[in-house]
This record gives sequence, structure tokens and C-alpha cells, in this order.
Amino acid sequence: MIGALLYLRLTSLRNLVVYRVGRLRQPRYLIGAAATVAYFYFSFLRRLRFAGTGGNAMSAAIIALIVAGFCATMCAIALLTIAYAWISPSATPGLQFSEAEIAFLFPAPLSRRMLIHFRLLSTQLAILFTSVLTAVVFGRTQFVGGNALMRAAGLWVILSAFSLTLAGTNLAVARLREASEHFLLWRMAAVASIASYVFAVVWYASAFLKLGSSSAFFSEDGLGGLAPGLLASSPVRWLVLPYRIVFGPYFASGLYGFAQAAVPALGLLALLYYWVSSTEYRFEEGSIALAEKRAAMKATMLRGEAPKAGIFKPRPQPGPFPLSPTGPQEVAFLWKNLLSMRSSLLSRRTIVMAFSITIWMSFALGPLFSRRGGSYSTIIVVFCGIAACYTLLIGPQVARQDLRSDLPNADILKTFPIEGWRLALGELLAPAAVLSLVLWFLIIVCSFALDTGGSVEWLTAGVRLAAALCLAAAAPVFCVVLLIVPNLIMVLLPAWYQASRQRGGGIELMGQRLILGIAQLLVALFVAVPGVLFGSLIIFSLFVHIGLIPAIVLAAAVVLAILVGEAAVGLWAIGARFETFDPSMEIK
Amino acid sequence: MIEVEALAKRYGSFTAVGNLSFSVRPGEVLGLVGPNGAGKTSTLRCIAGIIPMNAGAVRIAGHDLASDPVAAKRELAFFPDEPRLFDYLTVRQHLAFVARIYGVAGHEAIAEPLLAELELADKADVLPVELSRGMKQKLVIACGLLHSPRAMFFDEPLTGLDPLGIRRMKDSIVRRAREGAAVVLSSHLLHLLEEVCTHVLILKKGEKVAGGTLAEVSAQFSNGEADVGLEEIFMRATGGSES
Repeated sequence: MIGALLYLRLTSLRNLVVYRVGRLRQPRYLIGAAATVAYFYFSFLRRLRFAGTGGNAMSAAIIALIVAGFCATMCAIALLTIAYAWISPSATPGLQFSEAEIAFLFPAPLSRRMLIHFRLLSTQLAILFTSVLTAVVFGRTQFVGGNALMRAAGLWVILSAFSLTLAGTNLAVARLREASEHFLLWRMAAVASIASYVFAVVWYASAFLKLGSSSAFFSEDGLGGLAPGLLASSPVRWLVLPYRIVFGPYFASGLYGFAQAAVPALGLLALLYYWVSSTEYRFEEGSIALAEKRAAMKATMLRGEAPKAGIFKPRPQPGPFPLSPTGPQEVAFLWKNLLSMRSSLLSRRTIVMAFSITIWMSFALGPLFSRRGGSYSTIIVVFCGIAACYTLLIGPQVARQDLRSDLPNADILKTFPIEGWRLALGELLAPAAVLSLVLWFLIIVCSFALDTGGSVEWLTAGVRLAAALCLAAAAPVFCVVLLIVPNLIMVLLPAWYQASRQRGGGIELMGQRLILGIAQLLVALFVAVPGVLFGSLIIFSLFVHIGLIPAIVLAAAVVLAILVGEAAVGLWAIGARFETFDPSMEIK
Repeated sequence: MIEVEALAKRYGSFTAVGNLSFSVRPGEVLGLVGPNGAGKTSTLRCIAGIIPMNAGAVRIAGHDLASDPVAAKRELAFFPDEPRLFDYLTVRQHLAFVARIYGVAGHEAIAEPLLAELELADKADVLPVELSRGMKQKLVIACGLLHSPRAMFFDEPLTGLDPLGIRRMKDSIVRRAREGAAVVLSSHLLHLLEEVCTHVLILKKGEKVAGGTLAEVSAQFSNGEADVGLEEIFMRATGGSES
């Protein structure tokens, strides 16, 4: 069985490497790979290479404290994840097999335990790859001691221990649900134990920090010794023993230290492995559900939508408005995409996220402005400005219920009796409408918040009203123009676009995503420039002669004309390209 | 009704379809057969306006597909082998959407009997995710038939259908043809073609090997033998291999 696993993994890896290297002959992959290498070089390696040579290098004590804090956070997250597995156990937990593995291995003459071995060993290989990659990319961070190989091995121990513990917990919980009549009591006991453990660690750690002897740690020189001091104090030392064992190899400074730390760590891993592999739980059903969920998430991402957390099951919704069978065909696309948006974009998660961002910004901006003597109306205007910028820059990437989400249905769309540009317009209407509504709301709020009560002479109610109406008129067209950019890129470079929707895929696809993202931003800025330039020019050159309100209206008319022209050109380009678009060749 | 002249479709240097000509008149059902990679799907997708052809001309109900695609597409319906549906539209909403695209006034009066015929009436308000593959296929068929197309293209239409569905599908194709539609049907199921088709077109490596009525093609490859089935004709015409 191990031989079969190794054959599968090694052959797949070899073929993957051959395939990836081979496709570098295509310019787009070569350019993508070059972009990623450049990105990594300038973002990580170059900076790390020169770290410590500049004057801004952090002191070793601060770094040690940051590392300790980071590790403590990781441990807390791991513990929380384990606790969550007890608090809210999955109805059918499973091991993570791919759909192909399920198809080939589940009907094969393999025992359940062998399948668990297969899965666990596969996971270990994946973790080892991640660990080596991380150690190589961040290999120049010397503060933890040791060399890159030791750090890779150390990281593998940490990640494997967490992975095995989580898998074991899930299977144990499921086994208990299956076998025990007192499942709830078991869960309560487990959660109570975890809570008691956390309480004990926090209690004794606080006691240590309050001790007079620890005050020396809080000087700049002693800061680096704070975490080791805490971990050496009793009883924290014993309470965190499993964590110390797991983290031991990663923080070992020399070969001897590493060997010393590796023995108990590997022993612990072996114990965990034995625990998980000896679990007698029928995981097949859960594994199939998990594989289907992953496949659905992948398909969702390929459609250009955000992957849903948990098992997402859309529910039928009534149409956003009654759709008459006759009239402009574009309205049918608006209707369809609004329906889709209501189900996917305007979810509870989005609302919670928007609410959280609003609260966070209020808290962040409030003190900032109050410290500088700003009024609430200033805060609101700045808030609206930031929100508008985000809506214009991020909005077209989030609201993608347009041609991008319909790309898998290109076959069907192409049989529809509608001109390409009209189809493109119809597809863009729904996201443009939603983004426009957001902008209109912000414009209305701003126009009220900008009421200075006469302290700014030129900012009269008339000026505010004229500016608000002009901005409101330009907003939908500008949204359409911004939405045209990613849609045009998609039909012009479908392979690049598809690559940007997939997870992973190698450094060449990562580079393609980078280039595509930057290109979208640049093109969006480029199409905005003419309108902004001409609008500003007209207002500043004419307001003295014809008054501010007429100047604003005139500028808005010119800006609107420019935007409509850009939108028309963009829609024509998308339509023309879509009409010659070959889904069988280009979506690969 | 469907006229194809010197159609060619190339993928890079590979010619999927080359210099293919045929016509299908109202009431005729043309069976498109050939080994894997013979160019059947490429042909169907070209004449349905999904993928651009490299050469040739296609006319649907007198409308040239290249110069007047909108008018041509208004007259046709394409039924893919893999049902593609919109995730967030229920069965009924799919029909409403398609009705608007094709401008089918009073579509409810057409949709209800269609849903009943395809046994989708009790699923009218569910999303595609809750439909089996066969039901999705039926929904695609309902959407395609809603605007009463005069030219219909079926790519492996029986995939995923249950025996009753297969029977109804066959009856439906024959009935639509009798009502005046021109049908092109691509399938590997030769017995289906024998039952449903009036004409057959055998492709191999993108080129026409034989074409005509079943009797004509049979005569061409029967070598004087009586009662030679389409399967045997197919084997003789294609040499029994893809290459």
C-alpha cells in the first residue's frame, strides 16, 4: 500500500513538474513565472537578504517577543479549533480524499485502516512540501536559529501534530456520537476540560507576570528572556509541555539541540498517528461529502464567485421584479443576475462583513478625527469617500455576477439571438445597478454631511445639490465602465482570467494573477483619467465666468459624454470579441 | 431549412471539420455519426453559432449565420450533451428568462404543457442543484423547445435520461420533425438513429464518408446484402476504427 501511495504521489509529482516546465514554452506561462520570481525576489528574498544590515533592524529581544506572541496565537487557534470540533461536531466528518482517490480507492480491496494510512501519509507529504517551501522562502530569517533544513523539519512536526490532532479529534467525536449514549456528556466534559486547561494556563501565566522577579524581563535588555522565563516557570512549564515538545525542533539552535528535541516530538507524532489510524469510524460517507464540497467550492471559484464557507445550499428566490416576455433582452440578464446576486452576493455573510467594516472604520476614524479636532460631519465625509473608493476599486471584483460568472455557460449564451454588445450590456447591468445604489447612498449622505451652515461660503445648498445630482448621474455609467475592464480582459485573455480564478496552480499562474490584477487596476485608472481631467479643467476654468453650479453641470455633461463613449467602445469590444469567442478552444 | 456549405473548422493546425456540406429540409431528421474525434460536436457547435467556423456558410431558415446571426439563432435550438443551467434560477425562472430572450409572448401557456410532457411540473420551483442529471437535461430541452424552433441540434440527447425519458425524447424529436422542424442529431447510439432519423451523415476525421437517406447509405455499404443494420454500415464506412 505504501508502495502504491509513493508511486501515485511521486509519479504525479514528476508528471506535474514535467507538465509545468513544458508549458513554460508558452509565453504567458513564462511571463507569469518571471513575474512571480520577481515578486518573491523583491518582496521577500531581497529584503531578507539585507535585513540586519540597515539601521532599522529590530532588536533581537523584540523579535523574540513577536515570535513568542505568534506561537502563542497559533497554539490558541489550534486549541480553539479542537474545542470547536467538540462544541459543534460535524454530522458526518470525513478524511480529505480527492474525488479521484474516492473513485479508485474506496471500491478497491483496501481495509479502512489502510485508507486512513493512505490519507495520513498523503497529508504528511503535503505538509512536508509546504514546510520545505516555507523554510526556503523565509530561509534567511535567522532569529530562530538552526538552518533551513532543521526549520523545515521543525515546521513539519508542528503542522503534522496539529493536522493529526484535528483529524483524530474529529474521528473520535464522530465515533463517540456513533457508539456512546452519553455523547452530550462527553462533549460537555471535553469542552470543560479544554476551558479548565486554558484557565489554568492564563492563571499561572498572569501569576508569573505579577511576580517581582519577572520585572527584570520588562527592561529592554530582558525582554527577550520573558517568554523563556515564563515557559520555564512552574507549573506553566508542565501545562504547556505538549506545545514545547511540538515546537522544540523548530526552535532548536544547533544540530545536537535539534536531535534532542526531535526524539520526544517524533514520539508524540507517532502516538498521534497511532491514535488516528486506530480509530474505528466509518468515515467514507463524510469523506465523499467533503470531496463533493471541495469540488463544488472549486467550481464556484471557477465561475468567478467567492467560495462559500460550509455546505452552501442555495434556495429558490422570487424574481427581483416581474419579467415580461417581451421587451429589451438586456432586462432579462439584469433580472437573472440580480436573482443570482441575491442568492450569492447579498448573503448574511456579506451584510455582517459590511456591518463589521462600518463599525471598525467608525472606531478607527472617530478617535483620529476627534484628536485632530475634526467634526462628525468630517468623519462622515471621509468615511463616505473611503467607502466610495473601495466600491469603485473592489466593487467590480466582488460583484461579478456578469459575463464572468456566466463564462461556463458561454455555449448557451452564444446560441441566444442577441447581438454581442447587447448581451454584454445586459450582463453588466446587475452589478452596475448594485454598485450605483451603494454610490448613490454615499453621495446622499455626503451631501447632507457637507452642510457647513454657511461657514464655507461657496458650499451652498445649490452647489451641494448640483454636485450630488451630477455625481449620481455619472455613477452608473462609471460603474459600467469599470465593470467593462475585467469583463473585457476575460474575453480577450480567457486563459489568463481562468488562471486568476483558480487556487494554486504553480508560480506561473500566480504570476499571471499578479499581472492581471495590476493590469486591471491600471486600465481602470486609465479610463477614469480623461473624465477627471476634462471635468476639473472645465470647473476650474469656467466657474469664475459662469458660476460654480453651471460649471459643475457643464463639467458633468462632458464627463458623462466621455464615460458613455468609453462604455460604448468597451461594450462594442466585448460584444465583438464574444461573438468570435470559441469556448472549446479558449476556456482551457 | 438547414444548409451547410463547405464548412471547415480548424483548431490550430488540426482540422476538426473539413469541407463539409449537407442540408436538412423541414420534416427531416439527420443523424450525425462517426467515431470519437470525427468532428460531430464541432460541426454541431459551428452550425449552432457557438463556435466560429473557419470557412464555409451556414443558413438557418434562410438566414445566413455569419451575416445575420441574430435572425438565424432565433430559429434554432441547441441541446448540448452536458446540461448547462443557471445555478440560481428555478425551473420556471429558466423558462421565463428564455422566453424574454426569444420574445415568446404568453410563454406560460407553452411552458406548462412542456413541463408536464417532460415530467418537470412538480419541480417547477426548485433550483438546478436539486435536479438529477436527467431532469437537468429535460429542463434544457424545455428551454430549447419554448420558442418553437424550426431547426434543432441535439448533441447526444439521451445522455442521463431514464428509459421513459428516452422513449418520450424519441417521440418528441419525431413529432417536432413531423410538425416541420429540421433536426440534426449527433449520437453514438446507432439504434436510436435507426429509429428516429430519416437521413444519416457519417463523418470520419472531419470529413463526410457517406450521406443520404438510410436506404441510400445502406445501399452504398451493403455490398448487395439485405437487412444490413446501421451498426454494420457504420463499421464498414469508418473501417471500424477512429483512424
